[in-house]
Amino acid sequence: MKRILFILFTICQFSLIAQTTISGKVTDNKGIGILGANVYLYGAYDGTSSDENGNFSFSTSEKGVKTLVVSFISFENFTRTADVSKLKNLQIKLREDVNTLDAVTINAGTFEAGDNAKVTALKPLDVVTTASALGDFVGALQTLPGTATVAEDGRLFVRGGEAEETQIFIDGIRVFTPYTPTTNNMPTRGRYSPFLFKGITFSTGGYSAEYGQALSSVLLLNTIDEPVEEKTDLSFMTVGLGVGNTQIWGKSSLSVNMSYINLQPYLELFPDRNKWNKPYQSFSGEMVYRYKFQNESMLKLYGAFSYSDFDILQDDINFDDGLHFGLKNRNLYFNTSYKSRLGNNWTISGGASFTNDNSDIAIIDDAVKNDENSVHVKLKLKKRFSNRFKLNFGAEYFTTDFNENFIGNTAGNFNYGFDNNIFGAFAETDIFFSKKLASKIGVRVENSDLLNQFTVSPRASLAYKSGKNAQFSLAYGRFYQNPKSEYLKFSDNFEAENTSHVIANYQYVKNNQIFRVEGYYKDYKDLVKYDTDFVDPNTNFSNNGNGFAKGVDVFWRDGNNIKNLEYWVSYSFLDTKRDYRNYPVKARPNFASQHNLSVVGKYWMEDWKSQIGVSYSFASGRNYTNPNKTGFLNQETKNYNSVSLNWAYLLSQQKILYFSVNNVLGTQNVFGYNYKDTPNMNGSFERQAIVPSADRFFFVGLFWTISDNKKDNQLKNL
Amino acid sequence: MKRIIIVTVLALIFTGTIAAQGQYEKGMEKAFAMWEEGKMDEASQLFERISKAEKDNWLPSYYAATVEILGSFGLKDEAKLTAKLNKAQSFLDEAKSISENNPEIIITQAFLNLGYIAFDGQKYGMTLSGKNNQLYAKALEIAPNNPRVILGKAEWEMGSARFFGQPLTPYCKDIKRAIELGKAEKVTEAFYPRFGVERAEQVLKQCEGK
Repeated sequence: MKRILFILFTICQFSLIAQTTISGKVTDNKGIGILGANVYLYGAYDGTSSDENGNFSFSTSEKGVKTLVVSFISFENFTRTADVSKLKNLQIKLREDVNTLDAVTINAGTFEAGDNAKVTALKPLDVVTTASALGDFVGALQTLPGTATVAEDGRLFVRGGEAEETQIFIDGIRVFTPYTPTTNNMPTRGRYSPFLFKGITFSTGGYSAEYGQALSSVLLLNTIDEPVEEKTDLSFMTVGLGVGNTQIWGKSSLSVNMSYINLQPYLELFPDRNKWNKPYQSFSGEMVYRYKFQNESMLKLYGAFSYSDFDILQDDINFDDGLHFGLKNRNLYFNTSYKSRLGNNWTISGGASFTNDNSDIAIIDDAVKNDENSVHVKLKLKKRFSNRFKLNFGAEYFTTDFNENFIGNTAGNFNYGFDNNIFGAFAETDIFFSKKLASKIGVRVENSDLLNQFTVSPRASLAYKSGKNAQFSLAYGRFYQNPKSEYLKFSDNFEAENTSHVIANYQYVKNNQIFRVEGYYKDYKDLVKYDTDFVDPNTNFSNNGNGFAKGVDVFWRDGNNIKNLEYWVSYSFLDTKRDYRNYPVKARPNFASQHNLSVVGKYWMEDWKSQIGVSYSFASGRNYTNPNKTGFLNQETKNYNSVSLNWAYLLSQQKILYFSVNNVLGTQNVFGYNYKDTPNMNGSFERQAIVPSADRFFFVGLFWTISDNKKDNQLKNL
Repeated sequence: MKRIIIVTVLALIFTGTIAAQGQYEKGMEKAFAMWEEGKMDEASQLFERISKAEKDNWLPSYYAATVEILGSFGLKDEAKLTAKLNKAQSFLDEAKSISENNPEIIITQAFLNLGYIAFDGQKYGMTLSGKNNQLYAKALEIAPNNPRVILGKAEWEMGSARFFGQPLTPYCKDIKRAIELGKAEKVTEAFYPRFGVERAEQVLKQCEGK
């Protein structure tokens, strides 16, 4: 018996004494020792930190097969499972974690906004506090380089491209009618309220194979996954009223907002140059329902409805009584998206959108009624093989059914339309060769039923980090887009217009400061040409057009040097010529200015509880054709200048008073000239300057948030 | 004799468990000692090691996260900050998976978010400050008499009141209440987070404008 006890004790003692030493060296991929790496046996207490040469050594009483873990910040965890006796003199090379903020990013052509972005050109609040933007996300993006000021239009014109060359996506699903309807010389706005989005990616070229049918640019908007609290927002503005409400129930939430805008009171106070038979009014609403499943899968339903109408008489040199234009538009948009992890590092996402847009237009004595129904369905799979190698692929289908009915007072009635169905598929890989070198290579194929055409677009980009704060990127891509509705409704004898982009980018980021410069070349081919003054059912079309755009974009943002001041400066140089539409020769289109500059500043004054914002935009002259001289697009307007101011004053934590003035100096800007169709008695054509309908625009609003915690406010909605 | 064996075996088993518990206690005490000496990285690493051995105990990962968060304040390099806070987040996620709806972990999540907001309010404030309001409200609902929750919430609210130039005095009574509750609190679980009375009194001074 005593012997048993003795054995029991000795075993016990022995096990306490029998120690194994685990040792080795931790280095980075260059073989340089890492100081302070955490080295331990998983599940045991035994472990240590590596010394200044990366060496480590510790003893353990553990036996048998165990897992050694080495972890160090900004590196991937290393594990080795072996018998403890074999864990000696190990040479451990830690791999750098490429998911860190200081790793290289593929960014040629791309600006990101939102707090998930590695380098944020625009912060979430900027979208809504930029003085000239008036709460429109499109307006805020127009302060970034690569965009052109086309103030009478309001849409995004990117790098010598027309507005139709930019496509907008919400949660990866296409938006077919992103802008509010308007008429000549009245700038439009984005239809959707900015505060529903948590992140915005604006690509001015060279974008991913996931996106197609855009020759120049894509704008990707991602809606918020989970609202944080229940609240009600009220807004009282000089132009209308708004109300919003968010409800949360456990895993699901619903946000609804509605607004009514009517310009009548404003126009009575500040009449503009137009004669309004019926001032602009709109009623719009949005709704987002989100459901988060147990396994973190996410379902989002987004719906937006809007109705707008107006009737206007615009001064026009060719119409003694003015040019009459009336519009009633109703627009319905639904977007559903779903995202889920499938396990084994697979992710599935997909969605569908439906758009119905219906317009009833009165123009001079004629009437035009059109109806568009569009659907986009998409499915995407993603496999993450490792942090360093990811594969994305998917397929999508777009369909647009457009019908228009022209009821002419004298010309007679016409019915026309088109069905534009496009199938697309894409595959793309993300490869990180190291923390310094990464690439993205993809291909996209599309098949258009309407044009009976199959296209292949390769895309590639490469980024190299040359120093702690600096990196270079290159991108190449080929992009196809079917001709715009304006042409498709009269003919289907087309090929897709196409362009290729080559982009080189340098970026330097340090302490809340960003400097980037990007040069690009775009080669346009197969652009649509036609042989009439205006397109109509008798127009002959061809794809014989071509063109190019090249330029340099510079961006500087600084939030570091002066306390409470954030500012950014964007400059774009553009050289572009096109032979398209009914151009007799190759020329710089009338929407393109050679130089665009924009400066935005925001200053927070603590004592006044106020944020003051200023923005300045400049654009050099734009081409127009003067029929009194020979040539086409033979003259240039004077430069465009506009200074806007805004002031947000916090009455209390939940009440904000907001003032803004656009073009505060009242600069008389000219966008071009309208010439009389017939010459006067001296044989020359008289002209009329195309100017904004009002030189200045004033806005005053009170934004009030009601929530339980009494702290949230609508600063973000402004 | 049989009895002796049983007793011995029992004793062995008992000492075995004691030894294991001793290891946990020794480890935790060593980690706290390192923390006090300012050896933050070592302390965090030791908490990390203990957390991998004590799979049912949320405290080691909770402290590993806390040390990383504390170390993030004052960092000027955003890459370092996010690397540190991501690491803290992974520890905190581990703690959450062991102990769900734990008010101590919830307020530490709010503390982590504060690390981002303090670094760049313009960039992170919009999404995270709303989240923090929600986190403190949730923690208070679960533990209305937890002094750390009451103090954390009051401090957070004082921060935004200060930003908006509003009086801080409404929060003083909450801080006083937290101090009273903190003094009276009887912590039974070893290494359970304690209430720092001295620090709370400093916060109270700020609140009263002294």
